[in-house]
Amino acid sequence: MNRFYRKGATPTERLHKLHKDEEALMGLNKVGVVATAQTEFRSAWNNAQHIDLISSVVTSVFKGSGLTIDDVDFIIDSGSDVLDGRSISNCGFLGALGAHHKEEARVEEDGLWAALYGVNKIRSGSASVGLIVAYSKPSESDIDLYWNAQVEPFYQRPVGFGQRAANGIQAQRYIADSGVSARDLASLVADRWAAAAASGRVAIDQVPDADAVLNAREGAAPLTDLMFSRPVDGAVAVLIAREDIARRTSRNPSFITGMGTSMDTHSVAVREAGTLSSAAKAAAMAYRNAGWTSPDVDLAEISGSSVVGELLAIEALGLAQAGQGLSAARDGKVAINRSGGALPADPIMATGLVRLAEASRQLSQPELFGGGTPSRAIVHGAGGVGMQNNCVFTLEV
Amino acid sequence: MFSAPDSYPIDLPTFHSEINLPYTLTPGRAAGTFLAEVKNRRIVASRFASGQVVAPAQDFSSTNGEEPEAFVEAPHTGVLTAFTRVDGQVIGFIRLDGCDNDFPHRILAELDDLSIGQRVEAHWDDSVEQSVLAIKGFQLAPDAPVGTVKPLPTTEEPLGVIPYAMKLDYEHAYGPYYGRMFDEIRENGRFMGVRSPGSDVALLPPREIDDVAHTRTGTWKACADTGTIRGCSIINMEVYGQTRKVPYVYAEIVLDGASTRMIHVIEIDSLEEAKEKIKPGTRVRAVWTQGERKGRVSDIERFEVIDA
Amino acid sequence: MGRHVGIVGVGQTHHARRRTDVSQAGLVREAVDRALADAKLSMEDIDTVVVATGPVLFAAVNQPEKWVVDAIGAQGKSVVRLTSGGGAGFAGALAGYYQVAGGFSERTLVVAYDKLSEGQLQYSISTLYDPFWGREFAVGIMGFSAAYWRARMDVLGHTEEAAAMVAAKNRKNAISNPYAHVKKEVTVEEVLNSKPLCWPIKLLDVPPISDGAAAIVLSSEKMAHHSTSRPAWIRGMAYCCEADNAPERSLMLSEPLAIASRQVYRAAGITNPRRQFDVVEVQEPYSCFELNYYESLGLCPPGQAADLIASGATQLDGDIPVNPSGGCMGANPIGAVGVIRLIEAATQVMGKNESHQIKDAKTALVQSGGGWANLRGCAVLSA
Repeated sequence: MNRFYRKGATPTERLHKLHKDEEALMGLNKVGVVATAQTEFRSAWNNAQHIDLISSVVTSVFKGSGLTIDDVDFIIDSGSDVLDGRSISNCGFLGALGAHHKEEARVEEDGLWAALYGVNKIRSGSASVGLIVAYSKPSESDIDLYWNAQVEPFYQRPVGFGQRAANGIQAQRYIADSGVSARDLASLVADRWAAAAASGRVAIDQVPDADAVLNAREGAAPLTDLMFSRPVDGAVAVLIAREDIARRTSRNPSFITGMGTSMDTHSVAVREAGTLSSAAKAAAMAYRNAGWTSPDVDLAEISGSSVVGELLAIEALGLAQAGQGLSAARDGKVAINRSGGALPADPIMATGLVRLAEASRQLSQPELFGGGTPSRAIVHGAGGVGMQNNCVFTLEV
Repeated sequence: MFSAPDSYPIDLPTFHSEINLPYTLTPGRAAGTFLAEVKNRRIVASRFASGQVVAPAQDFSSTNGEEPEAFVEAPHTGVLTAFTRVDGQVIGFIRLDGCDNDFPHRILAELDDLSIGQRVEAHWDDSVEQSVLAIKGFQLAPDAPVGTVKPLPTTEEPLGVIPYAMKLDYEHAYGPYYGRMFDEIRENGRFMGVRSPGSDVALLPPREIDDVAHTRTGTWKACADTGTIRGCSIINMEVYGQTRKVPYVYAEIVLDGASTRMIHVIEIDSLEEAKEKIKPGTRVRAVWTQGERKGRVSDIERFEVIDA
Repeated sequence: MGRHVGIVGVGQTHHARRRTDVSQAGLVREAVDRALADAKLSMEDIDTVVVATGPVLFAAVNQPEKWVVDAIGAQGKSVVRLTSGGGAGFAGALAGYYQVAGGFSERTLVVAYDKLSEGQLQYSISTLYDPFWGREFAVGIMGFSAAYWRARMDVLGHTEEAAAMVAAKNRKNAISNPYAHVKKEVTVEEVLNSKPLCWPIKLLDVPPISDGAAAIVLSSEKMAHHSTSRPAWIRGMAYCCEADNAPERSLMLSEPLAIASRQVYRAAGITNPRRQFDVVEVQEPYSCFELNYYESLGLCPPGQAADLIASGATQLDGDIPVNPSGGCMGANPIGAVGVIRLIEAATQVMGKNESHQIKDAKTALVQSGGGWANLRGCAVLSA
């Protein structure tokens, strides 16, 4: 086994050597996305409870797959006690999750991390079909409080430093470094909202144009409210399975070939300015696991807590040079955020899993998205103030 | 909910819930010392073996978790390295003279008057103690001379705890099932559940999908307001946030016609009497409120034992 | 299961009623330093970190892994947090297990903690309940646990004495546990006469409120030798749940625990748990739960837990010692307890237990769980 571990190799180097050939040698299974389901994302689902949104996607995800809840070996769910208004909130939702008498786990992080856990379970061989669910109803609580409560309580929280301030400062720096204008950013926001409205999966009363985005209320100077991702209510479910089952049940399943995640330091002020270094590390880990030498992909579904966050993520994923994210976001070489991404629809705690659902559908059913033969995608999820935590998946058909 | 399209958005009432609790948080040695020293108008910082100085003081380096060697005192002046405005309050990053990190605080100036690189100075609020807000904020100080980091051989005892509070408010949607159930409680003073799939007994509270079989539940069914205790215990301890006076019986009651339990209370005079009289299998009946019903579980004031 | 995973290093804080010298972050650092030292590793050798705590309302910091990452020097690494009420530590360890077993990591650090002194414990636990339906009457999970215990006693014709024996046993065992902070021997009479809190649960049936952290290093088979020549191999580990408001919810047996144990025993080759386990560590939020576990884990036939404790078999010198560490009675930093039980069991089979080393212990059983007693799991460790 010596060729796998260079003497003196650092841990990340050891991990990075774990690529596709070795998977087979180690007896690890390949994992595919069999099916996905989402509720409509709305600014407020005021006629539904959490369990209604959850049971909706858990019921819908099986349709057409030939599988039922009985075929599911385990359920991993993402949600937040603070958003739900309930401690150990998964405990009250187990029935809706379909988890009764099954193995269940609550990851209190964005849903893409729940998918990561699920993929590891199937790769290990101890399970063959898993259900990943993520949901939230931010309309029911105070979002600022959800974010501010994440910040340490002694130095940062009392002065009012939180998600808004972090994003504002991130934007101030990005604009200074890259030279993009507020109007450029506003145009991208408007494009994203238009794409979401066109997808039919996000409820939007009126698609804002660039002027409306610029003239919206100040969110955190220089960002207006509309330049932040919009919290929405909703739920998403992704059914994953071992390769043989995925191929049996799905016409053209996409496979998760690489995963990476990295968490930056808690202190936003101390993080490397002008870059999302933890997103870059997560991407490097995922690409090496997938055996990719570069992010040469057809499409990408990328999260972001603000328009600048999305651009920084695009750059960190290697889809553009530093400061050039905007042209990559719009020039169409890589279809980025065909779904609209997180800006028009950010179901906090579920956003990354929605990106996985969207990307897998674009790869598996290209005929629904203008045709072509896409073969590779990048999926990105984030968590924490100023996108402290990042997760990247590589997806292939 | 799944397939039927909505028509127009409906304005529905929500259920207000509040989570409100006090805390005593432990800051640890570094923050505890910083917070103890603000009354002396001292900004306590940490010096690491490399010579790097970080303010405010940290127990562990933000970059790699290393523990610092000593406390030092940072000057009150520094440079503005970034800023923004949220809800009218300007917040910026400050790098104090002689320090190697930036940290966030309030900037006491108008956003339009600010630019990166300006010199700033701490403005103290002597009425505030044991908080980072003893520094009210940083104000522009263009002529302030560059300060230096000084040694700090002795410090106040670090604070062991600081008081804190969290108040979380929620507006929960009822959804169609709880909506109808509570509406029936308010309007008609009765409990309605939905039949379990393939059964006549009702699930209370009702929901669209059965918890066990994960299939659609059946039609609505009225349950009686009498029932049987499935489990009960006698609450005899006082805890923060309690809504009833102890001792009382905490009871899980299966109403006649239902299969799942409702949680409620039974008033008692003494523990011993309650141990004998109230047990699994005891028959109970709801005692409705005398006042106007609101459509909540508390419209039932309590349950009482039905004497045989 | 494909890749083998073992526990190769452990560390826990000296748990206390209240630690005013360290913040939550400092508490975590202590446990991590000890576990890494025990594993002869540094943070650089760790590929991924899993953090587990009880509900965030316990200590007012939302998603605290994002804060404590700095204290342990794990910046840049894969860090994720799991939570599962009282079972959080175990759930975190299970997630860590799958990171290694799934090839995502070669060495994973799992650290679990709670600093219960900071908040209002019973109130925060009560928020587990549905705000629409029952929350206002809850007293943490004590009210409900007592109700279920009473119902069980009525059906089986038992008295409170069996649970009092559990309390007396565990409190006595805790005296030799260097990490426990409640070390007071009590008699069965004293337990029975102690103040009813949520009758039939009485003061001495209840574990303390604690501040504490515990950490383990999980390693692949390939890398284990860097740390120890005798890892505690995880032969089976599972966590199962039941929907809380199911009509047929058994008050007698914990069905999720029974299901999990069936799965785990099959993976680990256990056909006669009573005979094959040398030592057992369980998480008893109240003394009555340990009786339920005896039955749900198959250590005795259903309905006979009282006989088992009365026989002395689960005492230190019995044939199936349960909680030689003292269980939760010595220290109960809730979110950390699952990992503490894993540590106590791992060190037993590794031959380095610091409370009471059971002679020649080779195979250990661990149980943990949370919620409304509806999230339950177990693991088999052997060296």
